[in-house]
Amino acid sequence: MKNLSRLPLIIRHEFMAIAAKKSFIVMTILIPLICLACIGLPWLLTKINTGDQENVAFVDKSGRYGKALVDTEEFHFEDITPIGDTGLKDFFANTDHLYAIAVIPADIDSSLSITIYSDNAIRHSLQKHIENCLNDSLTQARIQSYGIPELDKILSESKAEVELNCIKWTDEGDEEESNADIAGIVGMILSMLTYMFVLMYGAMIMSSVTEEKTNRIVEVIVSCCKPIELMFGKIIGVGLVGLFQMAIWFILIIIASTIFGIGMISSQPDMMQQTAQIASTQETQEIITELTKGLSSINFTEIFICFALYFIGGYLLYGSLFAAFGSAADQPSDASQATTPMIMIMVFALWVGIACMENPDGNLAWWCSIIPFTSPIVMMVRLPYDVPVWEIVISVVILFATAVATTAMSAKIYRTGILLYGKKFSWKTMLKWLK
Amino acid sequence: MNFIEAKDVVKQYNGHLALNKVSIDVPEQSVFGLLGPNGAGKTSLIRILNMITQADSGEVLFNGHPIHESDIANIGYLPEERGLYKKMKVLDHIIYIARLKGMKKSDAVQTAYEWLKRFDLLNWQNKKIETLSKGMAQKVQFIATVIHRPKLLIFDEPFSGFDPVNAEQLKKEILRLHDLGSTIIFSTHNMSSVEEICEQIALINRSKVVLSGKVADIRRNFSRKLYSVNVTDTMQIDPVEGLFSIEHAEPSPMGGIMASIKIASGVPAHDVIAYLNEHHDISSFNEQFPSMNEIFIETVSNNQPDNIL
Repeated sequence: MKNLSRLPLIIRHEFMAIAAKKSFIVMTILIPLICLACIGLPWLLTKINTGDQENVAFVDKSGRYGKALVDTEEFHFEDITPIGDTGLKDFFANTDHLYAIAVIPADIDSSLSITIYSDNAIRHSLQKHIENCLNDSLTQARIQSYGIPELDKILSESKAEVELNCIKWTDEGDEEESNADIAGIVGMILSMLTYMFVLMYGAMIMSSVTEEKTNRIVEVIVSCCKPIELMFGKIIGVGLVGLFQMAIWFILIIIASTIFGIGMISSQPDMMQQTAQIASTQETQEIITELTKGLSSINFTEIFICFALYFIGGYLLYGSLFAAFGSAADQPSDASQATTPMIMIMVFALWVGIACMENPDGNLAWWCSIIPFTSPIVMMVRLPYDVPVWEIVISVVILFATAVATTAMSAKIYRTGILLYGKKFSWKTMLKWLK
Repeated sequence: MNFIEAKDVVKQYNGHLALNKVSIDVPEQSVFGLLGPNGAGKTSLIRILNMITQADSGEVLFNGHPIHESDIANIGYLPEERGLYKKMKVLDHIIYIARLKGMKKSDAVQTAYEWLKRFDLLNWQNKKIETLSKGMAQKVQFIATVIHRPKLLIFDEPFSGFDPVNAEQLKKEILRLHDLGSTIIFSTHNMSSVEEICEQIALINRSKVVLSGKVADIRRNFSRKLYSVNVTDTMQIDPVEGLFSIEHAEPSPMGGIMASIKIASGVPAHDVIAYLNEHHDISSFNEQFPSMNEIFIETVSNNQPDNIL
């Protein structure tokens, strides 16, 4: 390409064509809100629940375990043992403040079962709470029944928990701590990002191409510039829209979560205390140190450089193919049909990526991180597990070589496809256009 | 001198020969008609002339040199199938196309305003194209075609879809651009507009140029020696063996008789006039040149595969 002066114009136009659309702006704002709602709603719902305390009556025929049922924010327990367990149904019907009645049988020590009655579906939280209360007391009672002094203390002291330290010997002979879980999560997030980005914006490229073709503007445009310029303008323009959208989301999520977080804490001073208490416990501190250790064991510079490379390579590879399919079809529905095999490959790659977290050095994982159509997704999962540099280099080189080849091929198909009407989409004609 | 010239251009699509050694010469500042039935190869030729596609063989000379990418800034093309970015605003669309053609932004904006004013579309400049009527949208496309003041304008069926008033306005604008120095190529089936405005034509049929030259010359060459005669007396005009025959005769609404006569081959017209003058009171005597429409139909039907083989 000798003259690239028109490319920035086309990129700008393609960018604005999507980014200035109302639907784009709405979606960009709406999606983080939906995400927040998904996180925030369950929390809000529990808040609503604790608002009104439900009354639960119990009949304790054993005479020992009734006091084990302690009140919570959600439930208040009242003892109605004197009433006995006959005519409970009538009693319940005549008492309108009751939510449920629990009956603790006399032989609970051996039967280990209790019954709850209600005219409602019984809330899971109530079931859990009663279970927890009784389990503890019953266990204590059983331990005591052995008559061995200080048995409970012995038992708690004899509980063993193993801590795993994973050390990896590097080639330089150093020892390095590795944390598979955190590494896997980071890789998976980046891999998902690539997958979603390529799929979403690839489809956008395709619909943009088909739209220009169906409304015939393309003939005017290619009389002003080369088809390949138009195609690249589209791929780059749409890619920039994607990056722009992701940047907005990133910022919005940070802002929103900050506000949300502060709001949550300030609205509940006692909860803040609770959090502080929890944070001070040794267990939590251990988790935090482990997390930081795990995160620091991952080479982020390497991961992000590779992420950028795989991201760009994968987007170019698939984006150009999407453009080619878009140009070959007359109708948007034809085009999306034609891309099904491509999407299947991507889904497969994602599946391999997930499997890869279990075994990052397996054969399938290895091959899929070299094959260019799956490598942007699979390699991202493998990367945090210290993949040898030569493998990364080979994989990236193959990816970019293939991206260049598919772009050249797509440019050929695109050039012919956009000006040809009335041909039903077929693989055969597309192969012909390659010649 | 020829402004654009195609020499032995061959183009093949998937085994179908779209252009078979097509040559046309478009003189500078002429109005050139590219005629032909549907599927003859006109659009294929136009796409090669404005570098949308490449010829398989043959060459295109633009202003004397082999056509180059930089020349497309000097070409304006209005395709038959009209297309616009429906979601774009009128002014934005025009400016985008103008800038793709290499205009500076300020220049593009200024010229766009001039054209919008000329077509009475100034109030629509910030409206989305999808809200425009068909006629207005076509005007927007016309503006986008000519805004960069191209030296060569190619119009593929420019008048289709226009009402007579707008078609007339469009024709005026095209001829004004011609007067300002642009060379114009029309691709059309509309033969009356060809007779009216084209100086030269090339007729393409079945991937080949089957007829080309000046419109006046072609019509003369296709002369069938048919003349229309009007006489003021009511005496019947009789055919004369070896001189002329009567194709058709009827009383004229103005009084007298009008007739269509065919002069025998080799007989000069003035002999016939002399004869008629002796017997009748002639009020007019004109040669009936075939219309471009008749020439088109005749040429194309003579050029059917049966006649070639």
